[in-house]
Parts: sequence; structure tokens; C-alpha cells
Amino acid sequence: MRFTVVMDGTSAGAADGTPAGAGEGTADRTADGPSGGIHRRAAALGAFLRDGLKSDSAGASRGAIDAQLAGDTLVFYSDERAKDRLVALAPTRDVRLVRIEARRPERMAALLSARAEGGQTDLFLFAGGPAGTELATRLACRSGGQALSEVLSAETAPDRLSCRRSIYSGHLTGRFELSARPWCVAVDPSWADAGGSETVAHTIVSAIDETGGGGPDPFEDRERMEAPSSEDLAGSSFVVVAGSGAGDRQGVRRIAAAAREMGATFGVTRPVAMNAWAPMDRLIGVSGARTAPALCIVAGASGAPAFFWGIERASLIVAVNTDEHAPIVGEADLVLLDDAVAVLEELAAIVAAEREKR
Amino acid sequence: MRILAYFKVTPDYEALRESEWSAAAGRVPSSGGGEGTSRGPSADGGAGPGRGEHAGPADGVDTRYVRRILDCFDESALEIALRLSDALVGRGRAAGLGALSIGAPGAEPHLKTLLALGFERAARVHTEAALDFAPAATAALIAAYAGRIDRSDLLVLGARSSPGGGGTVPFRVAEQLGWPCLTQVTEVEPLADGRLRVTLMGDDGLQRLTARTPCVLAVGNAVVSHLRVPTLTDRLAVRDRQPDVLEPADLGVDLADVLRREGPSLAALEGIDRHREGVLIAGDTPRAKAQALFDARLKSLLEEL
Ligand SMILES: Cc1cc2nc3c(=O)[nH]c(=O)nc-3n(C[C@H](O)[C@H](O)[C@H](O)COP(=O)(O)OP(=O)(O)OC[C@H]3O[C@@H](n4cnc5c(N)ncnc54)[C@H](O)[C@@H]3O)c2cc1C
Repeated sequence: MRFTVVMDGTSAGAADGTPAGAGEGTADRTADGPSGGIHRRAAALGAFLRDGLKSDSAGASRGAIDAQLAGDTLVFYSDERAKDRLVALAPTRDVRLVRIEARRPERMAALLSARAEGGQTDLFLFAGGPAGTELATRLACRSGGQALSEVLSAETAPDRLSCRRSIYSGHLTGRFELSARPWCVAVDPSWADAGGSETVAHTIVSAIDETGGGGPDPFEDRERMEAPSSEDLAGSSFVVVAGSGAGDRQGVRRIAAAAREMGATFGVTRPVAMNAWAPMDRLIGVSGARTAPALCIVAGASGAPAFFWGIERASLIVAVNTDEHAPIVGEADLVLLDDAVAVLEELAAIVAAEREKR
Repeated sequence: MRILAYFKVTPDYEALRESEWSAAAGRVPSSGGGEGTSRGPSADGGAGPGRGEHAGPADGVDTRYVRRILDCFDESALEIALRLSDALVGRGRAAGLGALSIGAPGAEPHLKTLLALGFERAARVHTEAALDFAPAATAALIAAYAGRIDRSDLLVLGARSSPGGGGTVPFRVAEQLGWPCLTQVTEVEPLADGRLRVTLMGDDGLQRLTARTPCVLAVGNAVVSHLRVPTLTDRLAVRDRQPDVLEPADLGVDLADVLRREGPSLAALEGIDRHREGVLIAGDTPRAKAQALFDARLKSLLEEL
């Protein structure tokens, strides 16, 4: 089985054709996207190859697929600084470079599909997130292969690739079989949390410059906007979440104030964000931030899988809920059956009093 | 501008109990089509043995007893399309707004609602085939309708939909139509020259950019998440109008053939174990419970943090 890892180091560029990242500090800014940034997304591909891709013939996770020899890495990049960091993250020895002025999914898909034509690559592996999904899908459409996004793990067999991904909003995992090649797989965004692979000595086997080719950007006047970030949630060791059980905007504010009092980072479930009871950057779950705190207090949330994904890595989960049958009760370590706002305010008062004492 | 909004009607999966999910785990799915019934003739005819999603013995997930709802991102997409159309009309521009759904008649009441809300066109492509895990077939039908029948300039739809949730349909449609596609869109404003100012939350963060039509806009976590409700007068005004019903063949799509080539196929369902201890912290009042929690675990934990 031969594979190609596709690392997308481009970013959506400016309208006037200025390479993205050319300006002061932009390269760093692009590294801070909500899906973990270019470099974390790239490192996730190495982690997936190491731990997520198995060969069923050998039953072994690695060794069976000698990542360094059986594949290569194709790096799309726009600026030099981004390129060097990406090459360093490539999980294979052989690296191919393609320079392009900015992210142009249709052009990139065309270039990949030309590569797929030789039939030498069985599997194209893409990063998690919308851009990786777009490339995987467009490549499959053009090359007659099959695409699957958000893949948790994959197992190779001579005639197919068997992949697992979350379905039914996280209630179940589905096992999918890809038959027609090339298999175009975008990994699950959670692989960005798995750390990188070990460093490999690289050989640049080709370097082509595609800047200026293939017509203008179909989209113009691009403008990056400052958006409140949810980075603080991803890195927090103590998270308090308010769900619909907070009752109304006021209830959510009171839980947020209690969280602040206790020194916790505040997050919410989707309905709370959708009702504009809290800003969208506070959203936790598959559509928002993924946290890994030592302590997570979930106040008035039912614990739906799409939400729970965002807190499942918490060491200790405390649920405050009025319904003993809410799914969160079985998903928490400790449970308080009571009103969310009342308990959180009491808890904040206790924590504050304790602080006074010391 | 001819705007087409695509939406899917799905079972309200959130209404299913934990026991239904555990019962489904381990089953070989046959993909429970829009109406929770079994597979359609075209899907059957196309699938060889081992093609799990079309060949299973029973529906993977039993959704017969839950209500049907608009898929959440599609609901956002419908309201965003309506607001775009309102804004265009407000500026004296024509905005032909249409809606499309695919599947069994479950979508009909929603299509009638959309007519009442001012959609000019409302159509359903009828099929009993199970398309839940068939994004290529879904995209083929949407693209054929938008391109050949509706001749739309702009397609607005949810970035992902239940139960597959892979988010590939918008890109597949874009590939078939040869249009560019933006995903995770949160806002759309018309510009004076007919172009659109689009806000989206991409891999690189929040961005705003200008799009020309034709293009596909796939709606993500937009603040606009609820479809407005028509008044009784609105409903009465369209009481005699029926949504158009088309067959895949009317769009020039051989659905059985598309499904035969559909892949990846869903071969098995697995449960997910999220179980934790769930130790109850007792007490008579919220204060007592909070204190018990604090004493038992939080005090030491917060000191460490
Ligand atoms: C594609 C997709 C993506 C999604 N992404 C996300 C996501 O990223 N994040 C997310 O959160 N959701 C997401 N969802 C929605 C998710 O499935 C649930 O609908 C959502 O998490 C439910 O939010 P909730 O728990 O606040 O509300 P509910 O499910 O309504 O739960 C409210 C809870 O509060 C309890 N309660 C009521 N009153 C009180 C009280 N006074 N005190 C204490 N408890 C009380 C109730 O018993 C109940 O358990 C997504 C859904 C889909 C389909």
C-alpha cells in the first residue's frame, strides 16, 4: 500500500494576489486558527500514521506500514517560513513541495488528481477540518476514488480500506469501507491533540512552483477578522459549562459570574450559544472547543454526545442537573441533583470564603 | 439572483433513548431512509452482497417513533437564504428564492411552510431509497436539480447533516456544478453589484470575503439558527399551492446506478462507552451539596490547580 500525506500549509490569501503570510506576523496568526492551526493539523497527520492506521494482515499498528518508505508527503505552501516548519513535521522521508500563492482548493485538487492518475497512490491522507475535507472530497470526485472525512482510525486490506468515524452526532461509531481507489481520507480533528510523530530525516524529491497558474481566486477582498478566541478553553485546567438548564440569559450570566469567582474558564452548550445567551466563542463540543481540564463542572447540560466530545478528556467531571435520568449523570464522576444556578453560586461563595480564610 | 436552499428532514435523534442507541450498536445498518422504513428498490437493486448500508437485515437505528425535524444547519441555511432574499428585494433587486428537499413525503409540510414564508418555488425529489449514508447520490440529485431544472445561481445548504455528518455534500455538489464553494458560512450580505459579502469561520479563523455567483455556500455555526414562523394569513395565502414533486429520472439521474457506485459504504455500527461512576453527592439544600462537593474533592483539587 502506498500513501501520500497532504500537508496544507497555505492560507486563504489576500485578493490582490499578495501571498498569504507575507505581511508582518501573518504567518503566526494563521497558525492560530480554531482547528488548532496549520502546524498542529500537520502534526496530527504524523500521529494518525503512527497510531491510527493499521494493517489487518499483520495486525500490528506500525512496522507493518513502514511510514517512511511506503509513502511520501506533499506539502502545499505559500511562504518560506511556513514551508520549513511543515517539512520538519512531515512523517515520511520523501517530501514533495508545491508552491501556490494561497489556498485554492480547486487548483490543489486538480494537481492532486493529476498525481492520482498514475494509480501509484492508494491512499491520500488529509488534515482534519473543513479545508482537509474539501480537498479529500474534491480529489475523490475528480479521480473516481472515495472520500471519507473525520476518520478516527483506518485499517488496510488488499482490496479496501476500513475506516471508523463518528456518526449520529456522536451517538455511534460507524465502520465504513472504501473500495474504489484512491482512498481520500481526512482525519478527525481530534488527532491534533495526539502529539506529533518522531522526527524523520527528509529528502526533497521534487519542488514545483505553481504560483500564478490556474486563474484568479474565485473569491475577492478577503479580510481576516479579529474574533474572540476559544483558545483559553482548550488550555484550561478548570472549566465550568452552562447548558440550557441555566434557564435564561440571566441564569447563564450568573453561572459565568460564579465561574469567574472560582477562577474557572467559562463555556456553554450549543443551545445557549444559539440563543445568544453567551458568545459563540464559548461553545464547547464538536462545533466548538475541545477541552481537557483537570476539573469540569457541567451545570444544566444533558450531556449529548456532540457536546460531551468537548469535555471527554476531563479528568474529573461534576454534573449539576435536576434530572437524575439525564445522560450526563452516567457520564460524570460526581453528580449533584439540584438547580444549576443555585449550586454554582453556593459553590462560588464557598470557594471565595475559603480564599478569604487563607 | 436565483437562490436555491436545500434542506433535509431528519428524525429527531436527540429524542432517542440511550437504550435505542445501545440496541443499534453491533447491528449491520441498512440505513434507515428518510421515513425510517427499509431500503428502496433502487438501492436494493444496486447493492452487491456485503454492501452493508443497502443490504442489512434491519435498520440500524430505529427512528419510527420520533418526530421529523429540519436538520439544524439546514434550518440556518433556510433562514439565511430568506434574509438574503429580503435584503435583495429591499434594494429593489429580484431574488427568486427556491427550496429543495430529497426523500419521501416527510418534507412536504416543511415545503408548504417555506411557500408560506415567501419561497417562490418548493420542490421535492421523490425517492424511497436510503440516502442517509449516500453523500454522492445526494449531491448528484441536488446538483442535477440546481443545474438542469432550477438553473440556480446560488445554492445555500447546511455544512453538514445528520446522521452521517461528514460535511462532504456541499463540496460534491460544487464539483459536479463546477462552482466554487465556501463552508462554515455564518453571514451573507448582498453587495450593490450583485456579488455577496460572506463571513465564515474557516481553518484560519474568522474571515470575510466577496463571492460572485454561481457558488455554493454551506452554512456552519451561524447565529441565525431558527427559521421564522409564518402567520396564519401567510399560510392561507398559499393553501392551494403544492410543492413540485420530481423523480430522479426527471433530473436525468439514474439513481440506482449512482448508488451502485456510491462509497464508502457503512458496514457496521459500534457503540461508544462514555460511562463514568456518577457518584451522588447528597445534601438537603444546594448549599449543603455544594459544601459536600467542596469538602470531598474540590478543596484539594483547587489547591493543586
Ligand atoms: C451536528 C451537530 C453538532 C452539534 N454540536 C454541538 C456542540 O458543539 N456543542 C453542544 O453543546 N451541542 C452540540 N450539538 C447539540 C447537542 O446535540 C445537544 O442538543 C446540546 O448539547 C444540548 O444542550 P443542553 O445540554 O444545554 O440542552 P438540553 O439537552 O436541553 O439539556 C438541558 C439539561 O438541563 C437540565 N436542567 C433543566 N433545568 C435545570 C436546572 N434548573 N438546573 C440544573 N439542570 C437543569 C435538564 O435536565 C437537561 O439535562 C450539536 C448537534 C448536532 C446535530
